[in-house]
Amino acid sequence: MKIITCFKVVPDEQDIELKDNGELSFERAKLTISNYDLNSIEAGAQLAEKGSHELIGVSVGGAKINESKLKKNALSRGLTSLFMLADEKLSNLDTHQTAKLLKIMVEKIADWDLVLCGEGSSDLYAQQVGVQLGELLGATVINSVSKITEENGKIIVERTLENETEVIEVELPAVLSVTSFINLPRIPGMKNILSAGKKPSTVWSLTDIGGTCPSETVEVIETKAPRQMDRKKDITEDDSAESIQVFIEKIAAELR
Amino acid sequence: MDFSMTEEQELLIESLKELVAREAPESEVKKWYEVGAVSDQFMRAFLDAGFGFLGIPEEYGGTPADLTTLLMVAEELTRGTAATIPALSNILNMFDMVEFGTKEQIRLSMDLYEKTGKASFSLAISEPQAGSDNSGMTTTAVRKNGKVYLNGGKTFVTHGGVAPYCLLVAKDETPDRDNKNMSMWLFASDTPGVKFAPLHKIGQGTTSFAELYLDNVELDESCLVGTQGKGFLQLMKNFEIERLLLCMQTLGLAEAAMDDAASYAGQRMQFGRPIGEFQMIQQLLTDMEIKIKNMRNMVYEAAWLYDNGLSIRLESALCKRYCGRASTEVCSDAMQIMGGIGYTTEGRISRAWQDARGWEFAGGTEQIMVHIAGRQILKKYAK
Repeated sequence: MKIITCFKVVPDEQDIELKDNGELSFERAKLTISNYDLNSIEAGAQLAEKGSHELIGVSVGGAKINESKLKKNALSRGLTSLFMLADEKLSNLDTHQTAKLLKIMVEKIADWDLVLCGEGSSDLYAQQVGVQLGELLGATVINSVSKITEENGKIIVERTLENETEVIEVELPAVLSVTSFINLPRIPGMKNILSAGKKPSTVWSLTDIGGTCPSETVEVIETKAPRQMDRKKDITEDDSAESIQVFIEKIAAELR
Repeated sequence: MDFSMTEEQELLIESLKELVAREAPESEVKKWYEVGAVSDQFMRAFLDAGFGFLGIPEEYGGTPADLTTLLMVAEELTRGTAATIPALSNILNMFDMVEFGTKEQIRLSMDLYEKTGKASFSLAISEPQAGSDNSGMTTTAVRKNGKVYLNGGKTFVTHGGVAPYCLLVAKDETPDRDNKNMSMWLFASDTPGVKFAPLHKIGQGTTSFAELYLDNVELDESCLVGTQGKGFLQLMKNFEIERLLLCMQTLGLAEAAMDDAASYAGQRMQFGRPIGEFQMIQQLLTDMEIKIKNMRNMVYEAAWLYDNGLSIRLESALCKRYCGRASTEVCSDAMQIMGGIGYTTEGRISRAWQDARGWEFAGGTEQIMVHIAGRQILKKYAK
């Protein structure tokens, strides 16, 4: 079975700085793998190791994602090989653009059986790419997957919902988006890190895939952090029913 | 001069930070000091993530790593936990065994180590009358009727009574001062005639210490480790690496204390402003930072020399001479900045201070380092 796991390269959250005008500065932010995608890579790695399958990592983004350390980071987590589509024109993709480009990549890799995605990205968290990619590929699409097992060549998944757990036998090819609690991503050791540098990785530009960047479907007008406010220091002293009611009303008024 | 880390080293340290965040939160580290041992879970996780096999030859399941990388791990592990974690000295012990042990002894030690990540054997070297002056050693290994009999006593036995085996250095046949022949022996801790008595320390509470009494302990010849009569020379071979490893732990403790104190100075308000804005606090922070930089530069330069096949006899002694005291001073100044909070056991600084103090003599006193370095300096500048 050929498994493809998609991951997004995002600015490291701890390096993002807030400017005085509320805008976010990414200038000093190192690039890293989106947290939620570590779960999809781990889910793929566990499946691949159990069934001796091939596990291919796939990512799309600006030219900056073609970074040696970042590629080793991904490859040290159980991937067999890595494909990147890195081009300056692909720096700020919306979810539909990402899904369309991933479709081209997955089809170019060919003969795939299963695509795994995280439940969202740690920067935008739109939770759209997995379902859109599945639709574009014409494959079975399931999100919120909290468990994946392979039994006699079949993929069985679980979706943990509020009051029940769905167990679904999945028709391949399929695109699954996994939850952040499906597993605890592994910590790569020195052996994994050293071997990562020897694994094959391929970087394509837009020209290599014979395409142009799909047009935007979303226009981002502004991205700003919430305005910082001083504490109001309005203290509700006791826990009587009346005071709690007053407290709730005050909170409700603030949220309006 | 390139001070940057390789990509592999950066990734390794990121992995270690993740491991520490998951497995060694402060609440957990506190428990280790209360019960006197690092948890089995952490040692297992450290091993599972591959850190426990760094530098051990690949044929025994290890991962190649140079000394610089090993020291980076020691620094980050200590800095992240503000604790003395014996995981790295366990690796160092395995170096000795892999180099001098028989195939059976190596396999035995590795099997035990792989199961738990904990020390396979305790180290019995020092005696009440023989520390750096190893000629004063009186524990003997005497051959009789095809067997070997150990008699005497050891002190400050690291992991004594906890590790399943014991690696001991004893004089061959006679305890005389002029007898320079010493050999290494590996035997089970529950061998008849072996008795451990725990020693209680004021710091480094994660590593057990014990006295060891040997009363006619009968061993087979196969318990000999390495070459007969060369036991102390074998032990000395890794002394210099050990010094750097210990220094890295002192550095990690100082950095942890600095992390806490500098952050506190930026937040603690007195007289309407953070105490970090007062020059007397800034002076403390500045002198602490200088000491930390000195420690880092000295130890990594020595590691670079070693990794490039150059002698570190002088450098390792200079590092050990400087780092223990510098670390205690940094932790002490950090405590001064934190005031009463730093003196409680609620924070990490009191622990780091107690642990750092021990490194001023453990692994060779600051004073004996003068003796080692002094001779090397005379040689270096001889015309």
